[in-house]
Amino acid sequence: MMIEFENVSLTLGQFALHDISLKVNEGDYYFILGPSGAGKTVVLEAVAGLHQPDSGTVLLRGEDMQNIPPEKRNISLVYQDYSLFPHMDVFNNVAFGLKMRKKSKHEIKTVVDDMLHHFGISHIRNRATLTLSGGEQQRVALCRALVVEPEFLLLDEPLSAMDPLTKDQFIGVLHDLHQEQGLTIVEVTHSRREAKALATHIAVIMDGYLEQEDTTQRVFECPVNPEVATFLGVENIFEGVLTERKGDDALVQAGNLLIQALSDLPTGTPVYMYVRAISVAVKPKTEKIRPGQNAIAGTVTMLLPHGDLWKITIDAGVPLYALLSADEVKSADITIGTEVVACFDPDAVHLCVKTSEPLPSSNK
Amino acid sequence: MKFPTHSRLPDACIISFALIGCLILLLTVLALFNMALAQVSDIGYFIATATDSKVVGAILLTMAAGLNAVLILMVVGIPLAYILARFEFRGKGLVESIVDLPVMLPHTVAGIMVYLLFMRRGIIGGPLWDMGIVFEDAYLGIVVAMLFVSSPYFINAVRDGFEKVPVHMENVARTLGATRFQAFKMVVLPLSVRHIFNGSILAWGRGIGEFAAIIMIAYYPMVISTLIYYKFTLEGLKASTATAFTIVLFCFIAFAILRYLMKFVGRYDDRV
Repeated sequence: MMIEFENVSLTLGQFALHDISLKVNEGDYYFILGPSGAGKTVVLEAVAGLHQPDSGTVLLRGEDMQNIPPEKRNISLVYQDYSLFPHMDVFNNVAFGLKMRKKSKHEIKTVVDDMLHHFGISHIRNRATLTLSGGEQQRVALCRALVVEPEFLLLDEPLSAMDPLTKDQFIGVLHDLHQEQGLTIVEVTHSRREAKALATHIAVIMDGYLEQEDTTQRVFECPVNPEVATFLGVENIFEGVLTERKGDDALVQAGNLLIQALSDLPTGTPVYMYVRAISVAVKPKTEKIRPGQNAIAGTVTMLLPHGDLWKITIDAGVPLYALLSADEVKSADITIGTEVVACFDPDAVHLCVKTSEPLPSSNK
Repeated sequence: MKFPTHSRLPDACIISFALIGCLILLLTVLALFNMALAQVSDIGYFIATATDSKVVGAILLTMAAGLNAVLILMVVGIPLAYILARFEFRGKGLVESIVDLPVMLPHTVAGIMVYLLFMRRGIIGGPLWDMGIVFEDAYLGIVVAMLFVSSPYFINAVRDGFEKVPVHMENVARTLGATRFQAFKMVVLPLSVRHIFNGSILAWGRGIGEFAAIIMIAYYPMVISTLIYYKFTLEGLKASTATAFTIVLFCFIAFAILRYLMKFVGRYDDRV
């Protein structure tokens, strides 16, 4: 285990982390996901040794890190604002960590120049950092962090200040860094897209509480509670009880709705059901429904553009959301007030057991 | 395509603010003009006074003592400013009030406080007197009086500078292998150099302008303000005004040069 938090609680002014336990394995690209102000950066800074926990233990390589200062942890940290030193040029920024390690001038020059070359920024070697573009600053910050060969790289929302094109390029850079160099990376973000693209494991933190920690696939398929599901962008969330099961075919009663799903859970299990809006098709009421599909009748109450798609809100006793292309909206002749049927396959329904334990964040 | 030419006149609000602001400038300019007029009308007397060894000696003594106070402030004030800028702790408000106290005190009170501490029988002055270090009527007395009254200006200016350096930069330096002191020395200090310079100018200016606190502990050797007072009471208005105008000219030139130099000091810290 590379990084481990054991029941870490930490108070910083008005803000607090509560009883956080998490594990980052060697080679993980570990994401800490959460809304702004959830305490993600504090977790990162606690790993780096910039905050000491009030209680609990932070372990690195199985070793208790209490009283080990940041400079002795062999961890590099890149902040969202890059935090380049404005009184040093690019070369001296990147060389900073090597100077602290008292490397020889010759070695510093060779290593720094190699690193700048690797990231394709040799041409800005002697530039003042304040004159650099966002993408260049990001690369310099990464060079500075990597040149000291850290065991862990901590990234605090590294892509949030970038334009979409640079962001896509940089996701590629980070992906290569993880895949090719096998570096253990912990990244903090509120972007689901980045997490989906890069993460191997995810921890979801909300209001200072760890809500869920699992593989990326598990977290996105089975959010532990509706709050996490909503944060992860699941549009349709139902709460119900599994009432009938034959093989993997299950029926779940959620209020007045009877929903077909695939599950191996026993009958009587209380569950949350998550259905992505992209998995929901919307058909005119008159159209024939394929047998075996869930079909819920309702009235369209809202149409909103959602990127290249349209987000349709349907009142079916409970609100239902679907994402359709402009062509689909046009061909089904959907407008506000149209009577429609929302359809989705049983395998589009993700069932998660509703635990009887209260949600961590409700303990506040 | 032609764009309409905009009027170059600032709006009414700016004009009225500038006019109101001029009143305070006018007061200083009028006082200077009044003083200068008298000196120009008898330029021979003014030159004789300005080159008098007593006057030159007092000016040099004042400047040197002020500089000395600033150098001591740099050693003791910078660490305190850093603590106040970076840490929250119980009793911080009290510490801040103690730092600011010399600003609010009447200067005579500051003088008494300094005198009580550093006089021959004072808590600090007593033991040092035994070791041969004298504050009463001595150069060191002038330095401590200046140090006491100018410390808030220095500490608060430097603290502002430290606060402007993002803590993230310090954090990054730490993770890259710098100890807290190295991060302070290599990141925080260079990025605050402009504020330190500014604080030093303020403190120096405040120190050389001090009179009441200094005469309590060290009437002699005479700093320039003591000499002007001495001349005013014993030799009259003409003698004291000529001396006063000498120091006005000296300060004006010295501070103009320092302000000019400040343009070239640590310019990046504005954009931190």
